[in-house]
Amino acid sequence: MSGTFPTQLTRQTTRESARIPWDRRLGLPRDALFGYAMLLPGLALIVILVGYPFGNSIWMSFHRKLIGVPDAPFVGLQNYVDLFTDVDYWIAVRNVMTYTVVSVAFKLVLGLSVAVILNEYVPFRGFVRSFVLLPWAMPTLVTVLTWRWMYNDLFGVFNYVLLQLDLINAPKAWLGTRALAMMSVIIVNIWRGFPFFAITLLAGLQGIPAELYDAGKVDGASVIKRFRHITFPGVIPVMAVVTLLSTIWTFNDFAIIWLLTQGGPGDATEVLSTLTYKIAIGGTELGKGVAVSVTLMPLLLLLIILLTRFTAEREERL
Amino acid sequence: MTYRLQRLTWQLGGYLFLLLILLIIAFPIYWILLTAVKPASLTYTAKPALWTWEPSLASFVELFQEYPFHLWMFNSLWVTIANCAIAVAVGTTASYSLSRLRYPGRQFLSGFFFFVYLVPASLLFIPLYVILSDYRLLDNLWGLTWTYLTFTIPFCTWILKAYFAGIPIDLEEAALVDGANRLQALVRILLPIAAPGIAAATIFAFTLSWNEFLYAFIFLQDERKYTLSPGLTTLVYGDVFLWGQIMSGAVLMSVPVLFLYFFAQRFVVTGLTAGAVKG
Repeated sequence: MSGTFPTQLTRQTTRESARIPWDRRLGLPRDALFGYAMLLPGLALIVILVGYPFGNSIWMSFHRKLIGVPDAPFVGLQNYVDLFTDVDYWIAVRNVMTYTVVSVAFKLVLGLSVAVILNEYVPFRGFVRSFVLLPWAMPTLVTVLTWRWMYNDLFGVFNYVLLQLDLINAPKAWLGTRALAMMSVIIVNIWRGFPFFAITLLAGLQGIPAELYDAGKVDGASVIKRFRHITFPGVIPVMAVVTLLSTIWTFNDFAIIWLLTQGGPGDATEVLSTLTYKIAIGGTELGKGVAVSVTLMPLLLLLIILLTRFTAEREERL
Repeated sequence: MTYRLQRLTWQLGGYLFLLLILLIIAFPIYWILLTAVKPASLTYTAKPALWTWEPSLASFVELFQEYPFHLWMFNSLWVTIANCAIAVAVGTTASYSLSRLRYPGRQFLSGFFFFVYLVPASLLFIPLYVILSDYRLLDNLWGLTWTYLTFTIPFCTWILKAYFAGIPIDLEEAALVDGANRLQALVRILLPIAAPGIAAATIFAFTLSWNEFLYAFIFLQDERKYTLSPGLTTLVYGDVFLWGQIMSGAVLMSVPVLFLYFFAQRFVVTGLTAGAVKG
């Protein structure tokens, strides 16, 4: 071992002095070119597959682009004017706000409660944790079909159970009644989404030093006080990230609403993603459809920038 | 004394709450399984049976007889595996570069990958539809694979970058001093240590591709090219709702993912926390 080491070192030095690496000649840090080369495949794919379509969508929103028609005349802001004067658009905006705010709030509260309990002593914690994650791991499609089946007004198990318990006196059309549809789709979103909060917040809780709790115990802090002064502040950074992520996902959710109600009954659960789909694919007006999602971009950018801030800050602290 | 009493009450309440939550999670899953194996006579009634003593696999058999369900499974598997392979390979090199090497623009590029992950499918599906149709890639499994890479590559990169950041750099530096080059340091030193992170990235890429709905629903129109998502959806949009068959299909679609999650739970949690907690 001691014999091989110096020879290798000399070989390395002679080779390096014979050939000055391109990194140095270009005035870049050591191994910079290797870094770019390693990044290139991913970056190239992302630029082609996301960057180009992203730009394309903005271009399309200023043109009258129809499915199957090669010509796409420039129409300026017409698509946007059409949208902003369309009452359906504003209804979808209001609905998506309700859907997102209510869903995310419940997911956060439920997820945090489950995380706090799981952070205490719980028998079979590993198993329970896997179990809690199930709704999140299952394909959305499966979840949604199942709930649609349970909500069924004729053969659904909900109506049956609620009738047996005398909580309702006639079967309800959970997805077909204006007053109930939004609540019904939100429940599905919560069921599917709160496990993500629970598991990530649990990981956040486990990162809080145990000494803090011991100190709290010594000071005789009550359970509520410990939660307010130790648990809650400790988990806030993770909570911010998870909440922002979930907000972005919920805001853009298509599958749950489309498969449960297709935006109905009437426009009761119409959100921007289902409206986009209806205008672009159903109505073949690609340009106008894409304009719907482009109007979301300022808000989306704001959320993403906030999220990047949060994650970047914590990266620095690591 | 009051402290202990208070604590006990909270604990008891907490356990009851947790039990309720577990029931709420379990019931729909139980209902899928039950509907899949329940004879039809017990399904289409206003008093659905909450248990059955005569389970049958009739719904599963019908599913394969009446629909090209085996093709849908094969197509899903094809797209998912192609996606995992490309995304994990490309994501590994990209995240290695972003976490271990220093060069101008690194911070910006790192943010760019994260940004791309958050660009929603509801924004991209229209331009992607136009591009796929221009290149005649609608109804094409490669076409679908390309579109899935829009989220699997940035996601794998993000998770792995966080994971790599948690591994001390000393070992690689020692290898470099010993005369190994960067590539050798990556393959021989870092990758074996990062195996759990790579497993997590693979599981997530698998799940994201397998579970995807919107792109598959829009970009595939030929029944024989369907993956499981659009396939199962056709069962719903038929004139008759065949809930037994739909739920059998749901069981078959969930099995691979649930299997992964139960048996690789450790990696899943690793990945989740690396992604969301460490950022």
